[in-house]
Amino acid sequence: MNKKQINNILIWFSAIILIILIMTPGLWVVLTAFRPQVDVMAKPAVWIPRNLNLIQFETMLFGGSEGSMGRSPIPVLSYLRNSLIISFTSTFIAVLVGTIGGYGFARHNFKHKNKYFLLIMLTRTIPGISLSLPIFIIFSKIGLIDTHIGIILVFVALNIPFTIWLTDGFFRQIPRAMSEVAMTDGCTKLQAFWHIELPLSRSGIASAGIFAFLISWNEYALVSNLARSTDSKTLTVGLMDFTAQFTINWPGMCALAVFIIIPALILTFMVQKHLVTGLTFGGVKG
Amino acid sequence: MAKVSLQGVSKFYGKVQAVKKIDLEIINKEFLVLVGPSGCGKSSSLRMIAGLEEIDEGIIKIGDKEMNNLEPRERNVSMVFQNYALYPHMTVEENLGFSLKIAGLAKNEIEERVHEAAGILDITEFLQRKPSQLSGGQRQRVAMGRAIVRRPDVFLFDEPLSNLDAKLRNQMRTEIKRLHQKVSTTIVYVTHDQVEAMTLADRIVIMKDGIIEQIGTPLDLFERPATKFVATFIGSPSMNMIKASIVKQNNELSMKTNDGIIVPVPKDKQNSVIEGQNISFGFRAEDIVPLKFGQKPSSAWEMQSSVNLAEPLGTETLIFTNFGEIEIVSRMFTPEQVKSNDVLDFALNLDRTYLFDENSGLAI
Amino acid sequence: MRKFLNGPWVLLMPTLIILTCVVLLPLLLSLWTSFTPFKLTKPDTLYRFVGFRNYERLIGDLDFWIAFGRTVLFLAIALNLELVFGLGIALLINKITYGQRTLRTLMMFPMMFSPILVGFQWKYIFNDNIGLMNNFLREFGVIQPIPWLVDGILANVSIMAAEIWSSTSVFAILLLAGLLGIPKDPIEAAKVDGCNSWQVFKNITLPFLMPFVFIAMTIRSLDVARAYDIVQMMTGGGPAKRTELLWTLISRTGYVDAKMGMANAMSYISIFLSIAFTFFFFYKLVEARQRLSYE
Repeated sequence: MNKKQINNILIWFSAIILIILIMTPGLWVVLTAFRPQVDVMAKPAVWIPRNLNLIQFETMLFGGSEGSMGRSPIPVLSYLRNSLIISFTSTFIAVLVGTIGGYGFARHNFKHKNKYFLLIMLTRTIPGISLSLPIFIIFSKIGLIDTHIGIILVFVALNIPFTIWLTDGFFRQIPRAMSEVAMTDGCTKLQAFWHIELPLSRSGIASAGIFAFLISWNEYALVSNLARSTDSKTLTVGLMDFTAQFTINWPGMCALAVFIIIPALILTFMVQKHLVTGLTFGGVKG
Repeated sequence: MAKVSLQGVSKFYGKVQAVKKIDLEIINKEFLVLVGPSGCGKSSSLRMIAGLEEIDEGIIKIGDKEMNNLEPRERNVSMVFQNYALYPHMTVEENLGFSLKIAGLAKNEIEERVHEAAGILDITEFLQRKPSQLSGGQRQRVAMGRAIVRRPDVFLFDEPLSNLDAKLRNQMRTEIKRLHQKVSTTIVYVTHDQVEAMTLADRIVIMKDGIIEQIGTPLDLFERPATKFVATFIGSPSMNMIKASIVKQNNELSMKTNDGIIVPVPKDKQNSVIEGQNISFGFRAEDIVPLKFGQKPSSAWEMQSSVNLAEPLGTETLIFTNFGEIEIVSRMFTPEQVKSNDVLDFALNLDRTYLFDENSGLAI
Repeated sequence: MRKFLNGPWVLLMPTLIILTCVVLLPLLLSLWTSFTPFKLTKPDTLYRFVGFRNYERLIGDLDFWIAFGRTVLFLAIALNLELVFGLGIALLINKITYGQRTLRTLMMFPMMFSPILVGFQWKYIFNDNIGLMNNFLREFGVIQPIPWLVDGILANVSIMAAEIWSSTSVFAILLLAGLLGIPKDPIEAAKVDGCNSWQVFKNITLPFLMPFVFIAMTIRSLDVARAYDIVQMMTGGGPAKRTELLWTLISRTGYVDAKMGMANAMSYISIFLSIAFTFFFFYKLVEARQRLSYE
């Protein structure tokens, strides 16, 4: 074997270890969701999965079966519904408002533009838990605690800065002449935006949307304090609530976790092409 | 089909005045070229005509209608941009038809006019392609096609050829000229390349630092430059320019350079200068020729100098030599071998020597 | 009016309104609250101004300083390890020609995972009774279960592992983008000039990567507080405050002990910490970018 071959083997060996490290935690959780409780608790451990089943999911979605008592103890359908409503609505509004703002930054020069931009980005750095305290006080006063609207509003504010960052980068990539020629071609500013700039930055806006969705879907620090009941608690809060109990039903919790994992997996595939370009925009080019 | 007029137009960027109260009348169907170094205000002027920049001062009219408060789309102008600015997500056909679609024309009429424009520009075979599948020259044609389908009152070109390589640039230059003959619409064309300006324009406007230095036909500017700047800007190689002051010698006014060389003031200008005046005098490369290889002009002044460098270009040869301390260039049209360090006798044609006042820069 | 409609402010207005209402005004309230002894159970206390009393108490509060110190130390260690691992992974993937894209996509998974989910995964893995880790060690004869999430040092290490797992990919992916974007000319020029591969890396590759390092750091600085979710899930700051970070302390003080005034004072300190952090790396980013550009 020459030096190059040894090198290649080393590279592949490291790559495989890397893949194992990345994949194991998630896979292990997913696998557990389909395993019987006895196997999970067994000692010594049962390494090769056997008797895979859907009992945990059935219990969760359709209430208990085989002698357990009626409804599942985990209101997973409420969590799921809340997560979906809150994430989709807040993403839609954040992308709408953020894209318009990003366009404003990309296409206009005004005094202290960079300072405004930085200021808007800085709102994103505030730790969720710190922000949750005053919002909790305000929401308690005006009755927005434990409502979809309240949480959606907060998530919109959370997602606007990053949407602006991404879309500003994408809009700036489109030559200004493109909309100028459209305007001499007879378009109003709005028509030029709609026919030319929007289609050209579609992929950027899509990835901004996916990011916003993931951030809303995955958020915990704020929503855990602003949601009080199953009226507005999301999947992450649900997972936390039931994991904090003294006796944890691990397969059951893993089944709940699967609901959180699925969108992350799907959206990663959708966004991966634009992710890097999106993130490095503005970073390197200025 | 319309004339365009700018009356006292200014443009400010913050505190900088990019265009300074310029007046300009562009005649109907004229091909007018705005030329000047970068930052001279030519692009700003064009963009104000298009409506892409606010007019800070003065009035712009197209036809008899004031344009100041109209949006670009309301001005019925078309613009061709430096980087073509083709819509990358549309086919060539959609690019051409876009403005008509926005205007709400019927499908069959759009198609008819797109094909007509495509025919004029010889791009019919590319109609279904996307801009990314076209070469630079083809993209340029599509950009022009997009401008002509609208049948605008005025075409605006913003340095449309500066991104093409030299060969294609020459070819497209000819095509733009031909296009103008075919559609005979008023064209305002911005460039920094004086060769482009000379070959394309009916009239040229030379700008510098936000003001108009001179307006005239290409030949006008070449033969009768109004300022020192115009004289050096137009023509290639650039006009030789030498600083001097007027002295009296043998009852005749002469020009004394900083190196002490004394050249008589041309006869027709004897009365236009006064003793002690600081001037520059300029002459084109073809107006100072080696006596050995050229004809001696009727009114000549002679000097001897050694060749620094010779550039044979085929039909002509450029000879770099010294005029005192200053390097000048001479052009001869005979295919003779000239080597570095050859000492030659040069004759300067005084009838074709231009004088400029050093303070005002104006021609004398 | 026309000027206004054509200007940027119409476009920025919705953003500014929302951010003012949901971030700026609450922060002002938060600032005010930090000067009061406000308790959720006694609403009137919101209007009693006590000056810097909360801050003065914090200065003398050892628990607070331990949590503060642990947070800074935790971030310093975690970020540095993430950077080193991320660089290593980026260099590794850069070397791989076949399957590079797939590997890159796999790298992105942890980024997309909710911190709560990350915490859950690792809580499960480090569970002393049925966790993957102890089950695995048992196969090698370690019969006595290791109390990963109970022991002071081990618990912090376990949380660190979860944090690094979830965030190393930010560095790996951005640095990989940097590596792939490095122009070939300077590297070839350096090789011709006689540099060995380490010298090429140090003098050419690394300077080109620096902006990407700072982009990654800046992006990370936006969400360092996500560590709160992980800690809350894995240990809740316990046992006996052994894994308490600034953010879990704020949460406990504000919501469990209902001492809102005090919690807001703490959270102002945590906000300044985050902003200082972001500013620092943003400044570094601008600087590194300027050094690279030719102008």
